[in-house]
Order: sequence, then structure tokens, then C-alpha cells
Amino acid sequence: MGKAEDIIEALGGAGNIEEIKACATRLRTVVSDPSKVNEKALKKAGAFGVLSAGAVLQVIVGGEADGLAMDINDIIG
Amino acid sequence: MALKVLSPMPGRVANLSEVPDPMFAEAMLGPGIAIDPPRNPVVVVAPISGTLASLFPHAMGIETEGYSILVHLGLETVGLNGKGFTLLKAKGDTVTAGEPVIQWNPAEIEAGGLPVITPLIAIQAEADAISLLVAEGTVVEAGTAVYEVA
Repeated sequence: MGKAEDIIEALGGAGNIEEIKACATRLRTVVSDPSKVNEKALKKAGAFGVLSAGAVLQVIVGGEADGLAMDINDIIG
Repeated sequence: MALKVLSPMPGRVANLSEVPDPMFAEAMLGPGIAIDPPRNPVVVVAPISGTLASLFPHAMGIETEGYSILVHLGLETVGLNGKGFTLLKAKGDTVTAGEPVIQWNPAEIEAGGLPVITPLIAIQAEADAISLLVAEGTVVEAGTAVYEVA
């Protein structure tokens, strides 16, 4: 699986992702059920860190955030 | 061989802990320092020579063999959608350290309610891989070497 797929899976699957977008260095995402998010798996998928506030998560991925958000949005449609 | 990282603009050299964003303050992206700019229009120059691997109105990432340096102009500035920033280069361009890349006016951004302190990060470097070349609190010019990455 690619990195985008790994991140989707770690965020609890496509159905759990309400919104995902990128800024320069991180993915900003809103999930339906925060308990389905697996932080360890996110780090394994290449995230440097994860910041969460309830249903709003920031996945720190560095300069590739833009491309990853595009890939993820392509996959989850 | 160590890489010297230049301050991308004039300002006060600050500890990353002063940056009100845990991603930077806790060095999740990597170690570095922050530059607190003057509140007037400033030209932001490339901190190292390399390729503009990522370029946004409010941020640039420059890569060169084994190193990646990020300049993030202010915080939450992505939400401005480029307003208040002028790009002088394009993504993918090769730049020389000290070459102008972005223009912005921290006074204008701050008046809009956003912090203007600017992290200068050695992406994914080890915390002990960087050595400061100037003391925190020093006011530097654009192009002054502020730290070195091993």
C-alpha cells in the first residue's frame, strides 16, 4: 500500500474522514469518530507527529503534505 | 560536511518555544530557531542553496543533498490564501542562498490577528545536529548565518 492508503487506514478508513486538507507541512483533518484513529499507525505511515483536539487532527508530514492530501482526496473521492 | 542556514529576513533570533504552535514549539518537524521580523515590508531570502521543493505564498521548503529547510512565515497564514504575500520564484526553481523568494509585510499580517514569528526548521534533523551560530535574542540581518546543521 502507498503512504496515502496507509494514512487513510490509520485515520479509521475513508468513511471516518469527513474532511482532509493540507497546509505547508501538515494534513488537517476532521474525523467522525476520533477513537478509530490509530496514532501509532500514522507514525508508522511516516507522520512525524500528530496533534489532536477532539475530532480535529493535524498529522505532521512535512513538505509532502500537499501531494498527500491530493492523493488521499483522490482515493476517498 | 555541515550546512550553514541563513536567516531568511531581518529580525530577532528566538527559541522555537516562543512559537505558539506545538508542531513547531515541540520541534515535531525538526529542530531550528524562529525569527521575529520587523513590522514593515520585508523580502524573504533563501536560507540555503537548493531546490524550492515546496513553495506557498506563506512558506518555502528548500532541499539540497540530504538537507531540507523550511521557512514558515507566521502562523495559521495558510488561511490567508496568499493575501499579503508576493512570490518572486516558482516551485521547483533552483535558488542560491540569499536570493529573494517571497515578499510580505508582517505589520499587515499581524494587524489581521495572526502571529508573524517565523520558524526556520531543519526538517527531520536530529535535535543535536544543529548548532546555533548566533545567540538567541540577537537581531540579525537577512542572510546572516544563524545555525549549522551537521
